[in-house]
Amino acid sequence: MYSRKTTIRNKTGLHARPASDFIGCASKFKSKIVIKKLSDEEEANAKSIVMLLALGLGEGEEIEIYAKGEDEVEAVDTLIDLVDSKFGEDK
Amino acid sequence: MAEVFCGVAASPGYALGPAFHYVPYEPSVSPSIIENRQSQENIGYYSAAREAAREELETLRRRVDKSDPERGKILAAHQSILMDAVLDEEIRDRVLSDLWGADWAIWESYGAYIRRMEGASDPLLRERAADLRDVRDRLLRCLEGQPSKELSLMDTPVVLVTRDLRPSDAAVLDRQKVLAIITETGGATCHSAILARCSGIPAVLGVENALALLPAGEEVLVDGTEGRVVLQPDESQREEFRRSQRLFASRVQENARFLAFPAITADGERVKIHLNLGTGQLKPPEVNHVDGAGLLRTEFLYLEREDLPSEEEQLSAYRQVLEAFGGKEVTVRTLDIGGDKQLPYLELPREENPFLGSRALRLCFDHPDLLKTQLRACLRAGVYGSLRLMFPMVSGVDDLRRAKRMLTQCRLELEREGIACAEDFPVGIMVEIPSAAIMADLIAEEADFASIGTNDLTQYVLAADRMNPAVRQYYRPFHPAVLRLIAQVSRSFGKKGKPVCVCGEMAGDPLGAAVLVGLDIRQLSMNSASVAPVKRALSLLDTRDAREAAQAVCSMATGEEAELYLRKRFAYLL
Repeated sequence: MYSRKTTIRNKTGLHARPASDFIGCASKFKSKIVIKKLSDEEEANAKSIVMLLALGLGEGEEIEIYAKGEDEVEAVDTLIDLVDSKFGEDK
Repeated sequence: MAEVFCGVAASPGYALGPAFHYVPYEPSVSPSIIENRQSQENIGYYSAAREAAREELETLRRRVDKSDPERGKILAAHQSILMDAVLDEEIRDRVLSDLWGADWAIWESYGAYIRRMEGASDPLLRERAADLRDVRDRLLRCLEGQPSKELSLMDTPVVLVTRDLRPSDAAVLDRQKVLAIITETGGATCHSAILARCSGIPAVLGVENALALLPAGEEVLVDGTEGRVVLQPDESQREEFRRSQRLFASRVQENARFLAFPAITADGERVKIHLNLGTGQLKPPEVNHVDGAGLLRTEFLYLEREDLPSEEEQLSAYRQVLEAFGGKEVTVRTLDIGGDKQLPYLELPREENPFLGSRALRLCFDHPDLLKTQLRACLRAGVYGSLRLMFPMVSGVDDLRRAKRMLTQCRLELEREGIACAEDFPVGIMVEIPSAAIMADLIAEEADFASIGTNDLTQYVLAADRMNPAVRQYYRPFHPAVLRLIAQVSRSFGKKGKPVCVCGEMAGDPLGAAVLVGLDIRQLSMNSASVAPVKRALSLLDTRDAREAAQAVCSMATGEEAELYLRKRFAYLL
């Protein structure tokens, strides 16, 4: 298993388009991927849009992404990069 | 054989097209437990419905992807919700292990997430709950095997026939698809009418049994100017329709030329034109065409949510509007809710007579924290532009004093807390309760301005519910009794050199605007669609002529007489 932490920095948080982009990206990997909201330790399947929305990840929220499977390192690194890129917002 | 039906002329214009029955799908699901042997069958139903819903969304998305990329993105999001693996597993599990009927399993699985998102404090997340609800309803409809009523699936434009329009139906009012609107309920001042006028779609409302009388697919001619509907029109009616339509189109074009200019009467008097706003959203050019916002309805901040909007949230909404108006006057009306307009999270008692009950300011007095939050937000927002504060449903001087005391209290509190707030701004009242109009001379001593809400004033003065078709002939905005009261308010405030605005439907009607100018009103607030026609009408109007006409109708005996007289005398304005 491999995991990393980061903070959500884009204004709209992980809802709407960024959420769709996020699960779209996560679904490309074979590993099982989980996203965890560090403020209350709640977790969600990173390939489920509904679970991700229900987590309610707004701007400033600290998260941890962890994955288990053959492409776990690549999966986590790619998703962390995506979150850190602010999904193309605030350019 | 042609048949003619009459209704209320609610939004002007002409249209000819096939009738389309718009009956929004409303799921009705109740808990159901199935037999073990039925579970595979139910899974089958669910899978088929999910596939049907997926195909619908795919078709819709392909259609709008180019024309409306924003909607395309929403539909794509709906697809990913529908295909969500976790949700899918939950639904299957509830059917297979808990033996719930497919409909109940869908309802509950989606419901759990909908409730959770609706309860979120983040407004962006609350909006997502609406998406989930949309997908759930689509899925349930497919499960019942009902066809989609999606307007965007129609190949040709249609005449929309429906029982009533709700605020959330605004999204279906695409001018490319909807030629005209016919409803069974409602009058010229109800929500459907305002929606139709704002989108520039001709509408005839209050056509009783329209759904039964106008079969789907039949050719219907709609005359939104006169309030007539013709089923299967004959050749001469078609010819007349084409003539009127040409005339109307050239009139619309002509009106548009007046849009960018200030409103000046034929004899050179300047009339201020303001906008009525129902949401914080503005189309950028609109601000340049008007002198300010005469009525910012703040209800939009409170509706369709689970809790009260915070001070910060309100501050940012008001600030946005004030900044958009760049120093032009913005009149913020405090919360006008209660009676028929409910907020689910407030749990207001049901009243026998809501319009005469605890609504608007009265309700706010009963819930002082509600009003204080709003007043604090206004005081703080005032820093960002030219704000005027207006209290609705003021019945007399005592209401105004009490409201002003609360405002002062809030100002002192903010100062103590060291939070920046605006210098003194004008504080005024809505005149809609007859007692406030009758006592206008004394109220004018203590209010900085008045804004007359003609819809409610008319309904209270004439004791006629504007939503009730049975008393339609009693609801007459041009009734001398109403006009006399307006004249009295105008005079009383005029004497004190204080401005009077009219923000009801009358102000946005060329005929109404003419009478109001005749009663020395120089500020009119209206929907954006009315700005051009009113400016054009005013450019043709001589204020001396208007004053003479206004005096004449004030001494007439009946509302009908007054209305006919004005229609004749000011025919050239229409």
